[in-house]
Amino acid sequence: MQGLTYLVVAYVIVWVGLLAYLGVVMLRIRGVRTELAAVKELVREQQEKSS
Amino acid sequence: MALAGQDTNVKRRDASGPGQAERFPIVSMVLLALTFIGMMISIWMIFLYAPTDAIEGDAQRIFYFHLPSAIIGMLSLGIVALGGIVYLWKKDERWDWVARAAAELGTVFLTFALITGSIWGRTTWGTWWTWDARLTTTLILWFIYIGYLMLRSYMGRTPASARAGAVLAIIGLIDVPIIYESVNWWRTLHPQAVLPLGSSPQLPLEMLLTLVVAFITFTLLFSFLMVQLYQLEKMQTLAQQLRASVE
Repeated sequence: MQGLTYLVVAYVIVWVGLLAYLGVVMLRIRGVRTELAAVKELVREQQEKSS
Repeated sequence: MALAGQDTNVKRRDASGPGQAERFPIVSMVLLALTFIGMMISIWMIFLYAPTDAIEGDAQRIFYFHLPSAIIGMLSLGIVALGGIVYLWKKDERWDWVARAAAELGTVFLTFALITGSIWGRTTWGTWWTWDARLTTTLILWFIYIGYLMLRSYMGRTPASARAGAVLAIIGLIDVPIIYESVNWWRTLHPQAVLPLGSSPQLPLEMLLTLVVAFITFTLLFSFLMVQLYQLEKMQTLAQQLRASVE
């Protein structure tokens, strides 16, 4: 039974780790998209002011 | 309007070109769907299809996640080095994005390989860790990855950072064949290669099929994550360029 326990622990660690990492990556992408939109807006405002 | 650049010799591309933004979500979704299907099939094969090892019992099934993670972790450094070489040659920052993405993913997959290997070692050798040649050289590779990520983080998104990273990756690549041959060159606890290059596999057919399916699934997962991280690098670079132009 001990071998099976270690097997389950190993797969849980991998699955949880992968899902957590995927979540972190998605959050980072969302964060950058928000930042990009904000900076693009700043650039647009600056262009309007200069024109 | 010209965007401010750190180095005018580096080619810059418009990251929001028409067509590219539409292709990536479709590619991402296809890869994600294939990865999910592959994972489900892999789990079924690992726990129900593959036979139980007569000596190691159920714990041996860790192998079907451990080996693909380790192989992808090692091959990823090859992608980092390749991206670095092409960047040094063509000065195209897209290759640097590939290198950075592959470095991060290589770290993740190698971490999983070390963790699953440690758990498997606990059941087989009675210890979580030993300074065995294979384990030690793999740990060195993990430190190379960490060093690369720290270097790139410290030096920022500059051509100098990309060049330094490329050099580190190319030198670090020496460790990969050493890892592979470590079980042949030194007396080790770690098992010999079950898929030796140039020889027939040392596995029963059911185990081999399960391993192949698991490897394909992990490759699909790696590809999906590479697409996401590449997009992330692209957007971060564009954001930095735009920020610099308004400051």
